[in-house]
Amino acid sequence: MNFVQNFPAVSILLCLFAGIISSGLKKKAARFVNTVLISIVGFLSLCTLIYVMGTGESFVYVMGMFPAPWGNEIRAGVLEAFTALFFCIIMLLSLAGGRKKLADEVEEGKTFLYYVLMDLLLASLLALVYTNDLFTAYVFVEINTIAACGLIMIRQNGRTIEAAARYMIMSLLGSGLLLMGLCMLYDLTGHLLMSNIKEQIKWVYVSGQYRIPLLVTIALLSVGLAIKSALFPFHAWLPDAYGYSTVSSAAILSSLVSKGYIFLLIKIIYRVVGFEIFYESRIVDVLFVFGLMGMIFGSISAIRENDVRRMIAFSSVAQIGYIYMGIGMGTQAGMEASIFHIFSHAATKSLLFIGAIGLTDVSGGSRQFIELTGSAYRNKWAGVTFTVGSLSMVGVPLFSGFISKLLFAQAAVQNDVKMLPALIILGISTILNAIYFMKTVIRIYTPVEERKYESITFKDMKLYVATLACFIILNVVLGVSSQPIADIIGQGLAMFS
Amino acid sequence: MYYIILSILFPIFTGVYLLVRKEMKSRKNLLMAAGIFFVISAVLVILALCMAGNGLFTLFNLTNRLPILFKIDEVSVVFSVMAVVVIVCAGFFSFAYMKHEGKEKRYYGYYLIVLGVLIALCFAGNLITFYMFFEVLTLSSMPLVLHNGSKEAVMAGLKYLFYSLSGAYMSLFGIYFLERYGNTLTFSPGGVISAEMAVQHGGILLGICFAMLIGFGVKAGMFPMHAWLPAAHPVAPAPASAVLSAVIVKAGVLALVRVVYYIFGVSFLKGSWVQYAWIVLTLTTVFMGSMLAYREPVLKKRLAYSTVSQLSYILFGLSVMNAESVTGGLLHVLSHGFIKGALFLCAGAIIYMTGKTRVDQLRGIGKEMPLLMWCYTIVSLGLIGIPPTGGFISKWYLAQGALLSDIPGFNWIGPVILLISALLTAGYLLPLTIRGFFPGADYDYGTLKKKEPPLIMTVPILILTALSVGIGLFPQIVTNYLSHIVERVI
Amino acid sequence: MIMLVILIPVIAGILVSLIPFKKRSHMETFLETLVILNSLLVWNLLIHRPESVFTLANFTGNLSISFKVDGMTMVFAGLVSGLWPFATLYAFEYMTKEKNEKIFFTFYTMTYGVTLGISLAGNLLTMYFFYELLTLVTVPLVMHTLTREAILASRKYLYYSLGGAAFAFIGLIFIIIYGSTTDFILGGVLDPEKIGGRTNVLLLIYVIAFMGFGVKAALCPFNSWLPDAGVAPTPVTALLHAVAVVKSGAFAIIRLTYFSFGVEFLRGTWAQNVVMLIVMFTIVYGCSRAVKETHIKRRLAYSTISNLSYILFGVTIMTPLGMVGALTHLVFHAVMKISSFFCAGAIMHQTDKHYVYELNGMGYKMPCVFGVFTVSSLALMGVPGLAGFVSKWNLASSAVESGNRIAYGGIACLLISALLTAIYMMTIVVRAFFPVKEFDNTKSLEEEKDPNWKMLVPLFVFTIFIVIFGLFSGLIVDFFADVAAGVY
Repeated sequence: MNFVQNFPAVSILLCLFAGIISSGLKKKAARFVNTVLISIVGFLSLCTLIYVMGTGESFVYVMGMFPAPWGNEIRAGVLEAFTALFFCIIMLLSLAGGRKKLADEVEEGKTFLYYVLMDLLLASLLALVYTNDLFTAYVFVEINTIAACGLIMIRQNGRTIEAAARYMIMSLLGSGLLLMGLCMLYDLTGHLLMSNIKEQIKWVYVSGQYRIPLLVTIALLSVGLAIKSALFPFHAWLPDAYGYSTVSSAAILSSLVSKGYIFLLIKIIYRVVGFEIFYESRIVDVLFVFGLMGMIFGSISAIRENDVRRMIAFSSVAQIGYIYMGIGMGTQAGMEASIFHIFSHAATKSLLFIGAIGLTDVSGGSRQFIELTGSAYRNKWAGVTFTVGSLSMVGVPLFSGFISKLLFAQAAVQNDVKMLPALIILGISTILNAIYFMKTVIRIYTPVEERKYESITFKDMKLYVATLACFIILNVVLGVSSQPIADIIGQGLAMFS
Repeated sequence: MYYIILSILFPIFTGVYLLVRKEMKSRKNLLMAAGIFFVISAVLVILALCMAGNGLFTLFNLTNRLPILFKIDEVSVVFSVMAVVVIVCAGFFSFAYMKHEGKEKRYYGYYLIVLGVLIALCFAGNLITFYMFFEVLTLSSMPLVLHNGSKEAVMAGLKYLFYSLSGAYMSLFGIYFLERYGNTLTFSPGGVISAEMAVQHGGILLGICFAMLIGFGVKAGMFPMHAWLPAAHPVAPAPASAVLSAVIVKAGVLALVRVVYYIFGVSFLKGSWVQYAWIVLTLTTVFMGSMLAYREPVLKKRLAYSTVSQLSYILFGLSVMNAESVTGGLLHVLSHGFIKGALFLCAGAIIYMTGKTRVDQLRGIGKEMPLLMWCYTIVSLGLIGIPPTGGFISKWYLAQGALLSDIPGFNWIGPVILLISALLTAGYLLPLTIRGFFPGADYDYGTLKKKEPPLIMTVPILILTALSVGIGLFPQIVTNYLSHIVERVI
Repeated sequence: MIMLVILIPVIAGILVSLIPFKKRSHMETFLETLVILNSLLVWNLLIHRPESVFTLANFTGNLSISFKVDGMTMVFAGLVSGLWPFATLYAFEYMTKEKNEKIFFTFYTMTYGVTLGISLAGNLLTMYFFYELLTLVTVPLVMHTLTREAILASRKYLYYSLGGAAFAFIGLIFIIIYGSTTDFILGGVLDPEKIGGRTNVLLLIYVIAFMGFGVKAALCPFNSWLPDAGVAPTPVTALLHAVAVVKSGAFAIIRLTYFSFGVEFLRGTWAQNVVMLIVMFTIVYGCSRAVKETHIKRRLAYSTISNLSYILFGVTIMTPLGMVGALTHLVFHAVMKISSFFCAGAIMHQTDKHYVYELNGMGYKMPCVFGVFTVSSLALMGVPGLAGFVSKWNLASSAVESGNRIAYGGIACLLISALLTAIYMMTIVVRAFFPVKEFDNTKSLEEEKDPNWKMLVPLFVFTIFIVIFGLFSGLIVDFFADVAAGVY
């Protein structure tokens, strides 16, 4: 066994240990541990990625000594490793961007707790990405939920508590459905390891038995994860949760947490149910339709919103809709587009949240549009960043959003039935995106006559500006040299099956 | 060859020169200049007619397939002579008349341009050249209509502009098609439509021919697009109305002559629905124009309606399409041109001297200005069609043509309507003479003063009157000349 | 070389906002020099056409950003580079009365580069890329005055343009999937084998993409951004909203129709009929709205809407002759409309008059401006001897030649529109030169006079071109015919 093969498991364990250690540390030390941790995990993921790309095949790492059918397994392929790396980058940048703000948002005594939760969140995300058995997946789904809840709640005011409660309820509903699905799967197959289940399911499917239980299982799994990732119409918890939590939390929640569930869903589709069987069930169409509706209604809600943070949050609903539309197309190309959009949206949405905070800070902390007028002149870097993010969301070439749109559309054309609705909704949704994002951009670039608020200078926010620069570069890299990433996705999907 | 260009460009350039230069020091200088320009232009036209021969003269190519070319044939001669005579006469008449209208420099500027453009229209050798100058004519004559600048004059000017343009665009619609379906756009007697095309695209060709008839008919005041005429004439200065009514509307007639006889050709149109529709339209216009004139109290407006009616006499002659009727039509072009020019100038002289515009104000006018009223009476008789004036000869030919034609129904309806209209003409023209010379018992002779207009006004009127009588006395000269045209096109 | 002509204006624009010029005239000299230099480079590039395709970057798969100089490029880039130096000269004078000049000139000059990018684009993706960029760089120009009106207008402009691009994007995708390449090849790139039985879907997509690009070309019902965008300073309205931006839309549609989908595929289908009917409707609609409008610039904007659809009408005829007609009007209308807009701008600049009814007798105060305005009005009406007639002639005769019955109706629309054009343009001319009697032409003759040479030179140059194009169109129309035949 190669040394590198230990890395995925090690990074998960590292995160858990770091969380435990941090709980006894002071604020600054916890922050330091957290930063180092994310960097190390990122580095380990990079090594894994290079290793896996070198060998050209995935590997399975057995945790503990339990043999199948009970064992805990970790599996790392190109896609897993890349996703882990990407998540680390986004998390690092989001935390760096929101660091200054965190002091205002979280009570002094609780800051270390914030980083503890971050560590746990990273652990659960990594586990969701790497896991090869459903039991581990379920455990970390719950850990993830709890950590996320904590991250929302740690900023204490009435609205976050309400938001966290809502999030908790919806998430637990999702987990419950997921658990039911897992139980039924275990009933049907007698296994918890993904590869074993898949074989059994294939056999069951061919034999023609248990058709309806199988369908119900697939439905439960999909719906459970869809609720957790805020697919329309299960998004009611989302605007408040993203809108009122700390900015780093919002960025991470929207760009990573929901994506973790989607990644798990994709993994289940490929590794557990099997792509063909999943495609045969009509669940794909349901996901497709809800994805389309999410694209439209998410954007419409965003247009009606007067609060910039909540607007970005609603935009997430629309973007999640894009991803589910891609999955719902039921083609390889659609899946690739969805995965690309996971990355592209993660990069863009965190950028928007971090950029928006720079704008609201120079507008007296108010997030209402009327106060934001001219804020791009008061904080130039945030203004530029927000503009870049908006253009990417609208799908202007050069930015990552354009490539996702391109991939989605190309995927749509390959499916004769779903082509027209997908393309037309894609077009309409672009217009809607343009409406609310461009409205904001024009608003922040409209100068005001009287100077109500002070401008901010570069000296006060070096770290913040550096983060923004990284975000913009990341976005443009995704937008311009997308071919390597598309290759990785294709390779990774091939490794899944 | 170059006389053609010279005779066209000289008036246009002198007109533009008058427009753009600063106000002259004295009115006398302006009149002197304008007078010299008129005479030179007239001489140039005559030179062009005599020297140019009848070859094609291509000036340049508008696009690869659209040459701007000129050619002088008999039709050009007839129309251009009439135009030059009336325009020069009315021009000299304006020397006195325009004194009270003001803005004379502008007036003579546009007046000269109109002269040049009209000459160009007469000399145009193909449809596209014709169309080009047709539009320019509309644009350059509009300022003459709205000259006095009152609100209604401006509105009338715009009305004139938009009516004319809509007509022009309707004909342009046809030209687009003709360029494709005809062999060429050059005017050639007998038409340019090949037999093959006539069979293949007969329906479309007839359709566009009708569109072009209506379109060019706008300028000739043909029903249903005649409404601009009675609006434009009364507000324009009298000499301008004379030119408008005697010459500019004839550009429409010329257009129809060219389109029907030189582009589509008689053989293609004769007996088609287009011909019948056209006859119906002309007869309607003849009758309607006379009726409206009969009811109209304002003298110039009455004359304008009269023009509507008389022009359709000409068009009726053209629409019947046989030798006699066409001769009659062309002859009426000349006689109506002279007569209507004289009539409007008379009306102008009356307005100038007395300021009265309505017929019922003009009791006893014959006692005040007998010479003028004699002229008026003579040309009126001509318009009614009483020998020995030009009008009689032309109407004779028209009626004869209608009777000889083998179109069922129209060969007797036509003459009847012409006759009724002649009676109505007498009804609306002669009361002025009668009441002018015989004002009745209660007329106060004490206040009577001789108010004969100045010589510069009377002489042009006398010339035009003499010419109209001349045609009636020696019709052979003209009809012989016209027979050349008729032989070729029928 | 190709990159250079795109980059010089962009860099020049950025430099203008960075360099602290001591005097305004320094900035003028700097900008004008660079713009003229760039135009010379463009012309040099067009004359010595590099045959090869220049590829800048590869996106995913077979998608690349690449440039090529072909016949269409020569037409559009030649037009734009010919007009820009004059428009910049005009803008120097016009902007003396506006604020924030530097920002204005930054984006104004950058637009030059982006427009050239559209014309030089060698494939559909590159064109789409610059098309989106064009929207973005012109938005600051529309919202320049920063009044509430301007901001609303710029928002509307953004929504419409980006939305249109979103639907044009669908067309792009289909060309990627069903075409053999995305490069522009006269006659189209669709691969019959890949299409199979999906002809109707592709036709539907063509209509959608046509409408999408049509947003920039102000096709009805997506036209309302254009009159609203007239709140921008006049050089913008004149150059961008009569030439660069809107013509980019028309240009893109020509590319889409003749170079991507291919006319062989489209001719005689329902798709052709649909787009042709929409275009015909727009022709008449734009004109009738123009007649109702009393604000000069808005009136001209509606006129632009109608005239753009003339170009599109030529495109929808879908024959080489139709393309000749479209190209003729593309170029000729640019010259005519920019000169009439510049006149409107000169009037606003000198007298602050914005409405038609304020223009009584102005012809005597500003004879040069109104002289030019009259010439451009007559040309727009299509008086023979001026540019407008030739382009209309080409359009109509191509319609006759195509034998398409709907196109015959289109000719009628052209003529109705010509009449309406006469109504809305000539009423201005008549008002200016033939004021009603009460008008007193001695009053305030002093302060309201013709503008200085910076404004007049462009006006006269354009007028000369209107006349030259009108009288001697043979050469240039031959050139267009070569372009349509694929000689270049």
